[in-house]
Amino acid sequence: MKERRFRKLIPWAIGIAVLGFIAVGAFFSSNLLRGKTGGPVQVVNAPADIVARGKYLAEAADCAACHTAPGGAPFAGGLAMQSGFGTIYATNITPDPDNGIGRWTADDFWRALHDGVRRDGQQLYPAMPYTSYRGMTRADADAIYAYLMQLRPAKIPNRTTDLRFPFNIRLGMRGWNLLFLTDTLPAVSVGHTPAWERGRYVVDVLGHCGECHTPRGLLGQMELSQPMTGSTLGRFEAPDITPDGLAGRGWTQAALREFLGSGLVEDGSAFSDMHLVVMRSTRHLTANDLSKAATYLMGDRPPPPAALPDAPPPAEATTTAAGRVTYVALCSGCHGLNGEGIPNTVVPMQGNTTLRLVNPRNLVVSMLDGIAAQSFSYLQRMQAMPPLADKLNDAQAAQLANYLRVSFGGQKPDVTPDIVRGLR
Amino acid sequence: MSLPTRPLTLTINGTQHGPIDVPEGMMMIDVLHEMLGLTGSRFGCGQGICHACVVIWDRDERHSETVPTCITGADFFDGKRIRTIEGIAQRDQKGEVTALSPVQQAFLDQFSFQCGYCTPGFVNAATVLIERLGRAPIARQDVEATVAAALESHICRCTGYVRYYAAVRDLILATPGLTRDSV
Repeated sequence: MKERRFRKLIPWAIGIAVLGFIAVGAFFSSNLLRGKTGGPVQVVNAPADIVARGKYLAEAADCAACHTAPGGAPFAGGLAMQSGFGTIYATNITPDPDNGIGRWTADDFWRALHDGVRRDGQQLYPAMPYTSYRGMTRADADAIYAYLMQLRPAKIPNRTTDLRFPFNIRLGMRGWNLLFLTDTLPAVSVGHTPAWERGRYVVDVLGHCGECHTPRGLLGQMELSQPMTGSTLGRFEAPDITPDGLAGRGWTQAALREFLGSGLVEDGSAFSDMHLVVMRSTRHLTANDLSKAATYLMGDRPPPPAALPDAPPPAEATTTAAGRVTYVALCSGCHGLNGEGIPNTVVPMQGNTTLRLVNPRNLVVSMLDGIAAQSFSYLQRMQAMPPLADKLNDAQAAQLANYLRVSFGGQKPDVTPDIVRGLR
Repeated sequence: MSLPTRPLTLTINGTQHGPIDVPEGMMMIDVLHEMLGLTGSRFGCGQGICHACVVIWDRDERHSETVPTCITGADFFDGKRIRTIEGIAQRDQKGEVTALSPVQQAFLDQFSFQCGYCTPGFVNAATVLIERLGRAPIARQDVEATVAAALESHICRCTGYVRYYAAVRDLILATPGLTRDSV
């Protein structure tokens, strides 16, 4: 029965598809017809205060995170971004006329940020977060443009983006945009104050936090029904940063301000990709914007931070005894016999924000891979954590993770050797 | 107040030790120094960074590696086989040193160390490297990079790196069986 009904639907589906193609055909090609190549090299002489403002906004929007390759010239592109659809290379956005945006006008730049369309009329892929930048004001986009256009031009050619068929057809992104591009991203919290509104702009538009912290659907779109509820990126999980998610791990607005401003809080330090975000972007935010970002993330009426249970229940202490033996042998030398850490050098385990995550992924991956030494503002530095993958078997790693979760994170001892094996 | 203890049994330089009661949380370097009288391993940074304190952990016949003892608890070594700097040279029945190891001799010949504090760590790391190349020789043109990779985690505050690296490189190139001609 089911199959028959499905067959009846096929002619309808084809009909709708054909109509759709015709209807959007002209729409699709309009951009390409409007597209420009060549043209005069733009000379932009914006006032110094606009350029300074553009620099601040470019940092807040973390343009350099992707548009600078590791060890490469600033804003000259080249960073490879792996996606499920292939590899996308960030482009040169210095004012070089041939490789960068030297011939782009402020209007061209605005269209890229707002509509995801290149100057030549081709569609951008949403690896460029125009999905978030769409909410940017024209004045802010123009200021970023003014800043970029006075940078030193870098004669560094762009690398060709390498996506699988059919994702390599850029026109397809017109359809994707129809489905998924929205003017305003759903708010992660409830609020009405001017501080909350500004925070929303800093977090959702400039910081484009949701591009990593919001889970993605099958076509790579942000699942806007679950904003900021966490998503896995490469080895690590970008955690849940909804008000409830944050408060559930003990975060307060004050701690968030501290974290975004320095990368270091009492209960942990930024690592992996978030360390780069802090160092390149959020630490440059003004105290005012940091405070407002924190207001938005937790809401005008932030939920109270969840307290840690004082001591693990006795029943669980026995199930984690084996994990403690491993902890004392391999971890306590730096993290302390009782998880106290070493101030300014090694993060404590007591109340550690990674241990308080429901998902054990980040804890287990940190144990297996280790974490490289990381520098912070004012010559602060957290020392390297050595990888333990070859010192622990799956069962030992699971026991250790469970000991840490129960003793210091208020979490359940639900890490199995299979989970560890899957993360090796 | 007495600290809780755990029994430790291990083989050091071919000799079985223990079981001895070690206070919970004691790092291996302290057990070597305070309980076993093996004072050759050096305590440096105490953070597992400088590698002056490393000992050789013989995982099996074909696999040895260095482990920093300042951040590794004694319990980690329970039931394991390790070598410390005291076990590198050849000794006679009375325990007197009769011959230095090739690595030790090379460091002396090249005047590799100055204050010598980091030397036990360098000797152990270089010893592990030489043994590894004996099992799996490398191309001659890769020697320099291999030596650098094997020793780069070791810090020498007298900055004697050049002579340490040169000593190990020359020893590898001069020892038959550690390198193969490239194809």
